[in-house]
Amino acid sequence: MLVMIELELRRLKHDRTEIYSRAIQPILWIVVYGPIMGGVKAIPTGDIPYTDFITPGVLIQSTTFVSIFYGLTIVWERESGILKKLLVTPASRYATVIGRSMASGVRAIFQALIIVPVALLIGVKFVLNPLYFVSSLFIIFLASGGFAAISIFVASFMKTRERFMGIGQAIIMPLFFASNALYPVKIMPPLLQEFALVNPMSYVVDAVRSLMITGDLSNLPLDLVAIAIFDLVMFVIASISFRKIIE
Amino acid sequence: MELAVEARSLVKVYDGRIKALDGVDLKVEMGKVFALLGPNGAGKTTLMRILTTQLKPTSGEAFVFNFDVVHHGSEIRRIVSYIPQEMSVWTDISGYENLLIYAKIYGIDSGSREKAIEEVLRSMDMEGVKDNLVRTYSGGMVRRLEIACALLAKPKILFLDEPTIGLDPSARKAVWEKLTSFKKDFEATVFFNTHYMDEADLYSDEIAIINKGKLVKLGSSEELKHSVGGEVIVFGINGNDVGEDVLEAVRSSSLVKDVIFHNSELSVVVENAEIALPSIIDILKGKGVPAKKISMTKPTLDDVFLKYAGTRLDTIGRISEVTQVRRMIRRG
Repeated sequence: MLVMIELELRRLKHDRTEIYSRAIQPILWIVVYGPIMGGVKAIPTGDIPYTDFITPGVLIQSTTFVSIFYGLTIVWERESGILKKLLVTPASRYATVIGRSMASGVRAIFQALIIVPVALLIGVKFVLNPLYFVSSLFIIFLASGGFAAISIFVASFMKTRERFMGIGQAIIMPLFFASNALYPVKIMPPLLQEFALVNPMSYVVDAVRSLMITGDLSNLPLDLVAIAIFDLVMFVIASISFRKIIE
Repeated sequence: MELAVEARSLVKVYDGRIKALDGVDLKVEMGKVFALLGPNGAGKTTLMRILTTQLKPTSGEAFVFNFDVVHHGSEIRRIVSYIPQEMSVWTDISGYENLLIYAKIYGIDSGSREKAIEEVLRSMDMEGVKDNLVRTYSGGMVRRLEIACALLAKPKILFLDEPTIGLDPSARKAVWEKLTSFKKDFEATVFFNTHYMDEADLYSDEIAIINKGKLVKLGSSEELKHSVGGEVIVFGINGNDVGEDVLEAVRSSSLVKDVIFHNSELSVVVENAEIALPSIIDILKGKGVPAKKISMTKPTLDDVFLKYAGTRLDTIGRISEVTQVRRMIRRG
């Protein structure tokens, strides 16, 4: 399992352009959209500024992007022979699936480490507690594993890259807009509120927001349980569907 | 002799209708180089994927070193190495890093890892390029790196699916030199799929011809060629006149199976041309018939294939297709 994470780090060492280019979109959200919408004061975010409110949401959206598109790597490895070869090694299939999912967490953390300084520069006030910060990175890492498992599941029936690109977008955007990333859940229409309740992204954003921005940890245990259940379910589904990928 | 591979009436049906394997029986002895020769779509890759535990057979049984492929997959995966047809290394990291990752996947402990990697790099002549990205490697180098990765596990049997497809002749030769020396050093069994007859001919101890999911013939290259019929020696004769007595004399030799004279050419069918030639020359000389030129034709594996599969190996379309796939993969 760990070796898959090492593989990911080594790939990043050689080529980081993807991380940089994927950082552009979230930075636009924070630098342009945040201050403009904040100026309107249309969205009730309590006593924290709007840009500060959406920073964790945008951060999670971009790390989720990284994880969901991680399935592309799996599709690529299926097209080449790497998956076949991995199956004929003594490593267990489940370790391969979970290891690969977790490896996407490594990419996600690097993504976060690019966005956070930009947010700091434009004046977002983070909770100044290194323990909180590290914990939030850890949560991003865990959640990325679950989202990457979704993408492995999707890759098992979207066997070409083109199809995968399309479906990837179609998964992320609803998750993003129907979560508390850009606005509090309570101002949404009732139907969307219910969706937000089962949307894993809401819990991840809530956890990271409480650790990075508000410092109010009262919801954290619930968030963590939700993320753990999400990861577990997705790992099981991904491991089962992994068989289909290779045939 | 212990068997490395055994298959009994193996059948594989895809999606309930495409019959890729149609009752394959096969035995491969330990320590042999075994070639599975057949055209595109014959079932070669399916057979190999079943033997390497990637696919389950629809019916029948298969064993690798007496382990059942269905029930003892994990034992088999510990003693085999497999190189797929396409490409099995990561192109965005260096050759050395690929070896390091595979060494860890194979569970080689950290103490002996460096030494093992160094060893395979040396035996594949890749020390000079180990820190370059695989993206920059030529096709032959990628194959050698894949073999290096496979050797890390010190397998008892190495499965190769079309090991030299899309490579130029000199790269093919280099790959085979490495495989031959690996086989000698480790006394391992090598099982490879190919549609190159010359490769099966040159490098294998035993050949199985597969067509439409069935094994149609099994034997060494020599046995297969002999089974087609004899070899033919053709003598070019000055003038058009060879008497019946000359034909009789040649025919009476115990080494000769048949004699035909046609168009100033005397064709003699024999079991083994090299052995029969001197005595036939003596007979012709004795009869005062000088041969102007002599040529010998031996049956090729293509003739063998034609006889048993009823078709010639058609390879052209296949190669360009795979070359394209590999090129696409390398681009990433």
